[in-house]
Amino acid sequence: MKTLRIYRLLVASSIRSRMQYKFNFWFSSAMSAFISAVEFAMLAVILHKFGHIQGWSLTESGYLYAVLHLGRTIYRTFASDVHHLEKYLVSGDLDGLLLRPIPVLLGLMTLNVSIRIGELVQGLAILIWSLHGLIASGQIGFAALPLTFIAIVSGAALMFGIGLATASVGFWITRIEVLQNITEDAARTAAQYPLTIYPKWMQGLLLGIIPIAFANYMPALYILRGQGGWWLVAASALIALLALAAGMALWRVGLSRYQSTGS
Amino acid sequence: MLFLVLARKSYLRNLQYRSSHMIHNIASCLFGFIYIYIWVGIADDNSLGEYGVNGMISYVAFNQCSLWVTTFLTHGLGIGQSVRTGQIATDLTRPAHLFYQSMSKEWGQIAYQFTYKFVPIYLLYFIVFPLHVPGSWATVAWTAAALLAGAYISICVNYLIGAAALWTTESHWLYWVNIAFSQLLSGFLIPVDWLPGWLQSASGASFYPFLHYIPAKIYLGLERADALFAAYAWAAGLTLLCLAVTGLMRRNVEVQGG
Repeated sequence: MKTLRIYRLLVASSIRSRMQYKFNFWFSSAMSAFISAVEFAMLAVILHKFGHIQGWSLTESGYLYAVLHLGRTIYRTFASDVHHLEKYLVSGDLDGLLLRPIPVLLGLMTLNVSIRIGELVQGLAILIWSLHGLIASGQIGFAALPLTFIAIVSGAALMFGIGLATASVGFWITRIEVLQNITEDAARTAAQYPLTIYPKWMQGLLLGIIPIAFANYMPALYILRGQGGWWLVAASALIALLALAAGMALWRVGLSRYQSTGS
Repeated sequence: MLFLVLARKSYLRNLQYRSSHMIHNIASCLFGFIYIYIWVGIADDNSLGEYGVNGMISYVAFNQCSLWVTTFLTHGLGIGQSVRTGQIATDLTRPAHLFYQSMSKEWGQIAYQFTYKFVPIYLLYFIVFPLHVPGSWATVAWTAAALLAGAYISICVNYLIGAAALWTTESHWLYWVNIAFSQLLSGFLIPVDWLPGWLQSASGASFYPFLHYIPAKIYLGLERADALFAAYAWAAGLTLLCLAVTGLMRRNVEVQGG
């Protein structure tokens, strides 16, 4: 409980410090939302032109995009600096966190809490639009809503797990930007589209090695199309928990090997 | 000659990190694979117009390579960082024009990225996919001229983004906004002629098609070299704008920090 209280205090303090620069906050929120909107626009333009991608309509693809996007927004809001661990490793700034009376990971997560209002609003807008279209056409019922919520939360946990495992590798190799490019950026870009468009080796990669497909595509198979069964949503949540546990385990081992760069 | 000295130094500085950059190429290749498979997936029940499936594979593969020549340049040509450190004051007092200095360094960067990013990624795609090969040396020469024009336009745009750092601490966002616009309007992933009407108009009124769409179409033999007149007109106009902005910068130097 004490740890949680300290965590809440540090998060509030991080938000307060960020809000000292209000223009910068709103400007950066607007810019990041705009960049995400353009990303979705590319998908929308393709679907507008060709109607569907291997049977996945614009509303279905919008759903895939929004669930993934919202999961990532949650992950990056609460663990922004886990993604930026490299700069702490290179500068030796992680040393300061080792001295704090809370777990290092929790301390890192309270630094620079990144409130991604723009991305949240944009993700929610696309999700609501997609769900409205799918419900109106009778493809899904209201039962899809709680399942979608589970898919988003478990997707956030999954992406946090993948991000944490990638960051932890930094304890051995220090520079992790390229690895993050592959495990986070490229994998997320791939997951914006239906998995079936990729060749088998890439499908295997996105299901087994970097299991990002469980953040949106696999639960969506059941939620949107009734394929498989409810266990697909449960399995996605379970894989998210496993990825998170693996990320935490790698983090603990990595941290025990941490060697400061000194000053 | 100052241009060659600065470009060479920039090239050699990058050369120190070429192993790391080669690893980075793996990530870049993966993005290209994803984009190519999107079109292969769409081609399942679409003929993909004048391009055809192999044409679109070549189009996307070429654009994934040319990103490193016409799009992924140094953020704001490093001017934002220079403003942060205060180096900008020194750079503005040098006997060479700031635009000339920055541009010269960036050409070294582009030459490096062409050699160690464009070429290896292109070779990999060439081995893996049935890529289109230009039918004549003239096409190769016009493609190179299109890439050079695209690179120069991008240098000018990045210079303007860097210059904005003298007025706002958030200028780095402009770099990413420019990249976002470029992804949509340059025809990087979706040929401009497939954009909805209003986006086609927006694209046509901008310089973005000269970064990817025109070079890729010339490379595929689907566009005449005449299209480059407009590219060089944009380059000339943007150069004048960069020179004018430098005049404003001289009167508005604000060095942050102390």
